[in-house]
Amino acid sequence: MSGWGFVFLAYGIVWLALLLYLFFLKRRARRVEKELAPLRSSAVKKN
Amino acid sequence: MELLRQTVWLLRKDLLLELRRRESVVAMFFFGTLLLFVFHFAFEIPPDRAAAMAPGLLWLAFIFTGTLGLTQLFQAERENHCLEALLLGPMDRAALYLAKVSFNLFLMLLVEVIIFPLFWILFNLAFWELLPSLFLVALLGTMGFCVLGTLFSAVTLKARARELLLPLILFPLMIPVILATVRGMEILLRTGQFEEAVPWLRLLVGFDVIFLTAGFLIFEWVIEA
Amino acid sequence: MAQAAQNKTRGRKLLGASALLSVLAGLYFGLIEAPPDAYQGNAQRIMYLHIPSILTAYLSFFIVFIGSCLFLWKREKRDDILASSAAEIGVLFTALTILEGSIWGKPTWGVWWTWDARLTLTAILLLIFIGYLMLRSLIEDETRAAVCSAVLGIIGFLDIPLIHMSVYWWRTLHQPPSILRPDKMPWENIHPSMLIALAVNFVAFILLYFYLLSLRFHVGEMEEEAKTRKLYRGSL
Repeated sequence: MSGWGFVFLAYGIVWLALLLYLFFLKRRARRVEKELAPLRSSAVKKN
Repeated sequence: MELLRQTVWLLRKDLLLELRRRESVVAMFFFGTLLLFVFHFAFEIPPDRAAAMAPGLLWLAFIFTGTLGLTQLFQAERENHCLEALLLGPMDRAALYLAKVSFNLFLMLLVEVIIFPLFWILFNLAFWELLPSLFLVALLGTMGFCVLGTLFSAVTLKARARELLLPLILFPLMIPVILATVRGMEILLRTGQFEEAVPWLRLLVGFDVIFLTAGFLIFEWVIEA
Repeated sequence: MAQAAQNKTRGRKLLGASALLSVLAGLYFGLIEAPPDAYQGNAQRIMYLHIPSILTAYLSFFIVFIGSCLFLWKREKRDDILASSAAEIGVLFTALTILEGSIWGKPTWGVWWTWDARLTLTAILLLIFIGYLMLRSLIEDETRAAVCSAVLGIIGFLDIPLIHMSVYWWRTLHQPPSILRPDKMPWENIHPSMLIALAVNFVAFILLYFYLLSLRFHVGEMEEEAKTRKLYRGSL
């Protein structure tokens, strides 16, 4: 059934794209958290 | 009214500048004519299809020419910090918006008035009696273009790649105007009936009113940023 | 202060978990439980992606609009972060909507692209979103970028009904009627299990959207905080 081929193509692209976006977003979050932690703690120390 | 007085004063300044140097209007006119020439080479237009394709080609030429005018619109203010000087005074920011919209409208209409008949002759169209209603459509469409175009000319004033960014942002927003003017003119040329084109004209009027009001209210935040 | 942040993280995690569950449920109902369409066969199952996607894309633009209005009114950075986050995720969902529509079109209409009203409108929405993001990236001064993109967000949103009207008029006056109309919303005569699949997938997309939005917003807030702290590090 040619129909299923298109279905899997569409579903595949969509969920792959969303997962990739989530992955890159989480990586960006981790990077910012790492950057932010020393800034926050140094502010606390100075106070 | 104070707003009107300021608008007229600013408009007079721009018109005087343009009258003396004639930079924008000449460039726009030649660019528009050049586009029509290029269209003639690029598109193979059979004579029976000329009336159907003419509005689209004409509007394409007007929109690209108009964009040229928009990128030049605030040029005088950008040089020598004129904009900051203008804003230092108590002038109503909306007056600057109205003046610039009127100025761009004036330039575009001037160019259109010359190019319109030229286009008709170059493409061998013969609908002279329809010219007034066609021009009404063109007027409403040009108004829509100037209203949004002026706002976004100010928005992109300090952006990089401004000449590319302005059309990129403006053209999708202009789609109702493009569709309405081209379809409206095409209906007039095809049927000669004004009533059939009225829904499109109503859309144009709505567009013009909505975005003139929006621009009028929003402009001051843009120009002060 | 730290407790509020912890609560937010926990709330996000909960949202993410429920999104995952509903996505899996949506996949089950859409691919397994719902029957194939009488005319289109199994290809019709793409509708369970396409309709929720398009609605999420428009929801996103609405949030850009709200964020832009709030920002111009109150000038609080959070509203700007909300608008830009919604725009970023909106581009993603809009692009996916177009891809889904195109893939759905191939077996049903025989072509990868057609200028029908819905696809055209989605493409225009994508162009406006992209313009928004490009405007933000090409203006160097941050406050100006925020103000200018807010203006675009508002004008763009106001324009959408007008764009809809003009494109629909244009298409209905010129397009000959066709037997297969997959762009019609099949609310009447729809098999109940198809409706269920559609509803479950709709919920899944909304939950997933808000999860991504909250995460993106959180990242935006943290980046802003990092920037501010670095700026004031000398004076502390």
